[in-house]
Amino acid sequence: MAGLGIGLAASLALSGCSGTADDGTVTLQMVESLTNPARTELLETLIGEFEEENPGIKVELVSPPTDQADQKIQQMLQSGSGVDVLEVRDLTVGPFSTNGWLADMTEEFEGWSGWDALTDNARNVATANDATYFIPYGFYGISLFYRTDLVEQAGFDGPPESWEDLLEQAEAIQDPASNTFGYAFRGGKNGYSNAALIIEAYVADDLDLENAYRLKNGDSMFAAPEALEAIELYFDLFERASPPSSVAWGYPEMVEGFSNGSTAFLLQDPEVIAAVQQSTAITEEQWTTAPMLVGPTGKAIQPLATAGWGTAEASEHKEEAAKLIQFLSEGDASIRFTEGNSLVPILDGAEDAEFYKTGAWESYLTMNASPETYITAVQPRGVAWWTEWSEKADAEIQQVLIGQLTPEELLAGWDAYWVEKWASE
Amino acid sequence: MIDTETTPARITRFAFLGLWLVISLFPLYWIVATSLKAPGAIFRYPLEYWPVELSFENYVSLFETADFGTYVVNSLLVATAAATVATLISLLSAYVLARFEFRSKSAVLMAFLVTQMIPAFIALGPLYLLMVQLKLVDNRFGLVLVYIAVCIPFCTIMLRGFFANIPDALEEAAMIDGCSRLGALFKVIVPVMKPGIVAAFIFNFVNCWNELFLAVTLMNKDENKTIPTALNGFITSFNIDWGSMSAAAVLTILPTMILFAFASRYIVQGLTAGAVKG
Amino acid sequence: MSLQLKTTKERPSNAAGAPGPGTAPGRPAATRPRRRAFTTRRGLVILAFMLPAAIFVGVFTYYPMIAGSQMAFRNWKLSNLTDTSWVGLGNFVTVFTDPAFGVILGNSLLWVVASIVPQFVIGFAIALWLRRRFRFRGVYQALIFFPWAISGFLIGILFRWMFNGEFGVINDLLMKTGFIDQGIPWLAEPGTAMFAVIVANVWYGVTFFAIMILAALQSVPDELFEAAALDGAGKVRTLFQITVPYISTTLALTVLLRVIWIFNFPDIIWAMTGGGPANQTHIITTWMITMTQKGDYGVASALGLIVVALLLVFSAFYLMALRTRKEV
Repeated sequence: MAGLGIGLAASLALSGCSGTADDGTVTLQMVESLTNPARTELLETLIGEFEEENPGIKVELVSPPTDQADQKIQQMLQSGSGVDVLEVRDLTVGPFSTNGWLADMTEEFEGWSGWDALTDNARNVATANDATYFIPYGFYGISLFYRTDLVEQAGFDGPPESWEDLLEQAEAIQDPASNTFGYAFRGGKNGYSNAALIIEAYVADDLDLENAYRLKNGDSMFAAPEALEAIELYFDLFERASPPSSVAWGYPEMVEGFSNGSTAFLLQDPEVIAAVQQSTAITEEQWTTAPMLVGPTGKAIQPLATAGWGTAEASEHKEEAAKLIQFLSEGDASIRFTEGNSLVPILDGAEDAEFYKTGAWESYLTMNASPETYITAVQPRGVAWWTEWSEKADAEIQQVLIGQLTPEELLAGWDAYWVEKWASE
Repeated sequence: MIDTETTPARITRFAFLGLWLVISLFPLYWIVATSLKAPGAIFRYPLEYWPVELSFENYVSLFETADFGTYVVNSLLVATAAATVATLISLLSAYVLARFEFRSKSAVLMAFLVTQMIPAFIALGPLYLLMVQLKLVDNRFGLVLVYIAVCIPFCTIMLRGFFANIPDALEEAAMIDGCSRLGALFKVIVPVMKPGIVAAFIFNFVNCWNELFLAVTLMNKDENKTIPTALNGFITSFNIDWGSMSAAAVLTILPTMILFAFASRYIVQGLTAGAVKG
Repeated sequence: MSLQLKTTKERPSNAAGAPGPGTAPGRPAATRPRRRAFTTRRGLVILAFMLPAAIFVGVFTYYPMIAGSQMAFRNWKLSNLTDTSWVGLGNFVTVFTDPAFGVILGNSLLWVVASIVPQFVIGFAIALWLRRRFRFRGVYQALIFFPWAISGFLIGILFRWMFNGEFGVINDLLMKTGFIDQGIPWLAEPGTAMFAVIVANVWYGVTFFAIMILAALQSVPDELFEAAALDGAGKVRTLFQITVPYISTTLALTVLLRVIWIFNFPDIIWAMTGGGPANQTHIITTWMITMTQKGDYGVASALGLIVVALLLVFSAFYLMALRTRKEV
């Protein structure tokens, strides 16, 4: 009886999947995961231009809601159908390539004229582990968003430079009675990332830059005595200078908390610049960004986070897929994409554009200009257990915040976790 | 009504009903009010309990970026088709379960009940593979098929209850008059059960209209998206913007509200169908 | 297990019969199916009428579910799907030995009980008071039915906004009325977060009970009340001795369905707290979503099967208790 149903359904099926039409036109299915309407619109425009340049290729953009995107992409990849080009992130490239879902595009990209235009960072990411699983479309880098007016009113003549300054200024600004808070604390989803950031700043001198959770001597950074100092200051920041509800704050709430004018400081990616610019609660004059916060030795670690476009192993149109990715990764298209989404560009010299010299972008130039102070490092985001770690770490930070765990226990647990994982590698 | 009501009892009754009306409607009012505030006004302190300056900006920006006509048409098509077919199919199975005794009857009922206990996630992966093989991914017809399957169990259980309350002398008379069993069912019983069937249909329709996870999994192209999928995209990416989110939420809720406003009479009537005397 | 959904013999004296909205098949004696000898023709009718439903549920529900269940017994981790070896009950051991599991199980229980009791009580009261006709009753019904038409996810969003710690209207109202001096960060503390998600769920679920119970109440024949009034029975006594017993089948089965649905209903919690803070508002099904996001499909599927098992056991005991009570 199942056969009957299947037969019935199949006979009534209206359309097929991606593939080659009778006239030789190739249809590519492209799936994005960090979907947002403005970005989708820009991407559609770029795709339109690509189709114009390549009359034999049609591109169908699939834009699932962000929350469900990852699972949908996994299902598509596992079924081996429906995806040619997809958004690959530093977090997903590990598992996706291990599972054989991503095509190594080395061959298709041999002799690509765009290679030379890429920044060193972009090239390194694109050729990591001797394979080209994706070409990054941009980089994320943290800077400190702050309210110039509130800082001034509190009697400070400039933004905080170190984590200790931040605590001091945020505490001075905090005034719950008038719904004004110091720091947009990240206690919810991915809250561990900022905790790692402060620890890294405190152990910057001893940190292994290729594996920024580990010290040069091979220990995990969570075991360092400075780590405890860092994390205690970090939790003080919550206790004394953050909104109480920030225990549950993830990305949207933090950004909202800053752009609605209720918090004075926010550590975030540059893409937030565009979001805050749209705010009607605070004007352009009331805020800007400052470089990352340094630790006691005057250094900060800038973790390299990225995402880009890759090809599915199951795709039957790898060549056309490569063409599309190349189109998006060079020249005008790439510049428009990074500017439109406020990303650190992948093209050498693109940051010299007027766009990156103004307003909130200035701090990125400052950081770029002093790589000795703002050190770029690679966190082990590609390891198989990264999502497990992030879930665990997030829950444990909240446990500290609501008093179920002490900072000492937290660090001891994290140290044990990473030591064990590295040993089993 | 037989018993008389004292004045205090009457006051208590209306006070309670009034209070619940306020509680029921306030969250809806609040989201509508939020959606109509100018973007900056949402975070003004103290809170504004109504849009002091009325603004449609949130709606305008939504309509600018999304193809709402298409989503509404898709949702209407899919939900109507699935709810209709599911109600028809359930009518048959409910009839058998209400009128006949057979050995596997308890097992069949249990099998229907178990479908209500399964978290959808377990089935999602294999279902996607199945639909790929049937070439029904990104196809509205495919989504209809899946929705029919989702609706049938509860709909059957619900309709079975209504059948049980209709004397079977009715269709027996019809069958003596020469109707087939199917003919008797549709010519004689369905008219009597009409409100109940409408209630079951509405229940199915609302379920399909609101369904999100299967739609996200099975649909790709923008032109095939249903309202919940499209608006979920907005809501999750607009997380930072309560104004746009509220507008999106209002637009999702609106069509079902209209349906309910028209059909609420049928719902209670339908559910009481079994009680119709005679 | 023999499912006692058919509770035919419990009330032989009823002339009108119970309504059986949703599930209750309290069947008047007149229409009780007769036990006839099996005939081929009859068998064919049963088969033909059941077939469409069986095909749909079989193909699109049972097949994927059974195919998906095998993940629960395999090492099915997104991080490496090249090795999905069988691990027996390994995933279940992982679940049961997780220190968070106790809290999550407790929360699931609290979530169901604390949601269903107010839903039932308020829903019952509304139904009882709506039984009497009044002007605009139709409009009133239409208005209070609205929550039922909204998806759980949207309800979560709605209440997350209202329970917002800084700009939420609930804090504002409480402060205006003088109940609190300072905003409560509702979703940031385990106790208040659990309270908030339950409030949202109660708001949503009252309607369902109100509709079902109202429908059942309208089937109670007026003669019964008249008789009670003649006996001089008070309101309360009438309620508990006549009304409740009369519609008890509907009540019992509505409660059963709701228990199943609420236990299996992660939407509101997921949209409001995502299970936080510190896993303190997770129920089994939200925990399952977390496991999926973590990429551990094996453990997530095991959790799914645990949900089914728990609900099956509960249903069995519930239906058994129901039957025993009726037959005493």
